[in-house]
Amino acid sequence: MLAIDAVNVTKIYRNSSHPAVKDLSLKVEAGKIFTLLGRNGAGKTTFVRMCATQLLPTSGTINVLGYEAVTQARHVRDLISIVPQEGRPLRALTPWDHVYNWLQIRGDSKSEARDKTEIMLRKLEIYGARDIPAMNLSGGMKQKILVAMAMATDAQLLFLDEPTIGLDPVSRRQVWTAIKDWKRKGGSILLTTHYMDEAEMLSDYIVIIDNGMIVAQGTIQELRRIIPQNIRVDIARDTLDVNTLKSYGSVVDTGAGMLRIFTFESAVHELSDLALRHNLSFTVSSVTLDDVFVYIMGNGIVDDQNRKE
Amino acid sequence: MIKIAKSNLLPVRQVLLIAYMTGVLWLRRNPMSLVFTAISPFSLLFVLFVVSGGQYIHFAVAGSLVMALVGYGLALGQDISFYKTEYKVQDVFVASPVSPLTYMVGLALSELLFGLPALIVLATLVVYFGSVFSIPLLVATILLIWGAMSALGFFLSSHMLHMRNATQVISFVNVILAVIPPVFYSIDIMPEALQPLAYAVPTTHASLMLQDIMNIPIPADWSLEFGFAVQVAYLLAFVILAKTRALWREN
Repeated sequence: MLAIDAVNVTKIYRNSSHPAVKDLSLKVEAGKIFTLLGRNGAGKTTFVRMCATQLLPTSGTINVLGYEAVTQARHVRDLISIVPQEGRPLRALTPWDHVYNWLQIRGDSKSEARDKTEIMLRKLEIYGARDIPAMNLSGGMKQKILVAMAMATDAQLLFLDEPTIGLDPVSRRQVWTAIKDWKRKGGSILLTTHYMDEAEMLSDYIVIIDNGMIVAQGTIQELRRIIPQNIRVDIARDTLDVNTLKSYGSVVDTGAGMLRIFTFESAVHELSDLALRHNLSFTVSSVTLDDVFVYIMGNGIVDDQNRKE
Repeated sequence: MIKIAKSNLLPVRQVLLIAYMTGVLWLRRNPMSLVFTAISPFSLLFVLFVVSGGQYIHFAVAGSLVMALVGYGLALGQDISFYKTEYKVQDVFVASPVSPLTYMVGLALSELLFGLPALIVLATLVVYFGSVFSIPLLVATILLIWGAMSALGFFLSSHMLHMRNATQVISFVNVILAVIPPVFYSIDIMPEALQPLAYAVPTTHASLMLQDIMNIPIPADWSLEFGFAVQVAYLLAFVILAKTRALWREN
C-alpha cells in the first residue's frame, strides 16, 4: 500500500509566477521512512504541506493513505499527524498540558491519553520537565514538545518537517529512536531535514529536490553511487596544486582550507603519499550522503568533468 | 496502528479542550490577564458617566457591553492570526480531525473567559437598570453578538498573512461596528437619512435590545422581534461565511 501517491503536482503561490513545486510525482510506501532533502526554498515544506492537507496544490493529484488530499481531506486528517516547521508550543502550557490535551482532542480517552503522554514524555526525556511551562524551557525542549504531540498519537502517517532543528546531539538521537519505534509499529513517515546524518540514519528512501523538481532519488546506497568514486580524501589545501589533485578525481572546496577529492581506492595510496610529502594532514573515508548532496547541488565543485549530468 | 475512534460528542469535547488549553490554563498561570482584560470595557463608560453627570449611564452601559462583546469576538481574529503566524498552531490543527468551526468556537469560548469579569459586571448593571425577568433576553443578546463577531473575526483573520494586518483590519472593523453606529448613543440623534444605514449594522440592534431591557424609550418603528431577527440573521450569515469562506487550508 502507498502512504502517499503524488502525481504531477505543481504549486504556484499567489503573486508568484515561479512554481514552488513543479510537476512533481512520487510514491511513498507505507511503513517506510521517506525523506525529502533539498536546499532552503527547494519546495520541501510546500510539498509536505500539500500532502498534509494544509495547502492546496495548483494542479496534480495527491492520494494520502488511499484518500484524495483535496476532496477527501477530512478522511486524510483522521490518519495523519504533523510537526510543523518552525512551530512553537504555547508559552503558558507545560509539556504534559500539550500532549495530554492534544491526545484527547484527537479522540483518546483520558486514561489512554495519560498513558501515552507519560510514555512519550519519558521516551523523549522531557518527563522530568512535564510541569514546567514552555516559556521556561530551552529551545530544544520546546521542539521536543511538538515532536511528542505528533508522535504520541495513533496516526498512521507522520509528517516531520525538520523535527530535530535546534536539538542537541543527544536529544536528536532520542527523537531518532522515537521515529524508529514509530516505524517498527507499522507507521509511515515523510521527513524533511537538513541534517544528512539524520537522513542517512533514518531513511528507507530519499528524494532530493531542487527548484521544486526531483533531481535525484533512491536508497542511500543508490544515491551514493551517483558519485562515480567511492572514497573521499580530505586534505589541507595549503600549497597543493589543485590541478595535481584533479588528476585523481573530482575536487570540492569544502572551505576552511580543506579540499575534498572523490576518488577510487586505487588512488588512496598515491594521495596519502602526496599529503605526507607535503607534510599535510588528511583523512580517508567512504562517500557520505552529505557528499552526494553537495555533489548534486554543484556547490564548491572545482572540477566537474567527472560529474554526472 | 489504531484508527482514531470518533463519536458525535467529539467536537464538543474538542471545543471545551481548546478553550481549556488556550483560556483556563493560561489564566491559571497568568491571573493578572483577567484584570487587564476586565478593565478596558469600562473606559468609555467611565468617561460618559463623568461627562454627562450620570445622565447617560444607560447608554454607556449598553454601549460598553456591546463594545466589549465586539472586542472579545474580534480579538479572536487577532489570537487566531497570532497562533497561525507565530506558533504554527493552526497548521497542527488543520492536519488533524479538528474542524475549522470547532477550532473557532473553542478559541471564541476562551476569549469569553478572559472577558468574563467585565461581562458579569456589565450584565449585572443591565439587570439592575432593567429587571431580572429580562435575563434570558440579555443572555440571548450577548450570545448573538459574541457569536457573530467571533465568526467575523475568524473569517477576517484567516485571510491575513501577517499579524500586523490582522491587528489593523480588526481595529478598523471595531470602530465601524462599535463606535460609529448608535451603540453608545440614541439612534434618534442621527440624521434621519442615515438611520437606515445604522439599522443595517448588527450592533445597533444589540444596543437597542439592551436599551429596551433597561426601559429606555426605543424608536417607534423598531421592535424587539425585529432586532432579534436581524441579529440571528447576522449570526447565521457570519457563521456561514466563516465555515465556507474562511481559509482553513491555505491556497
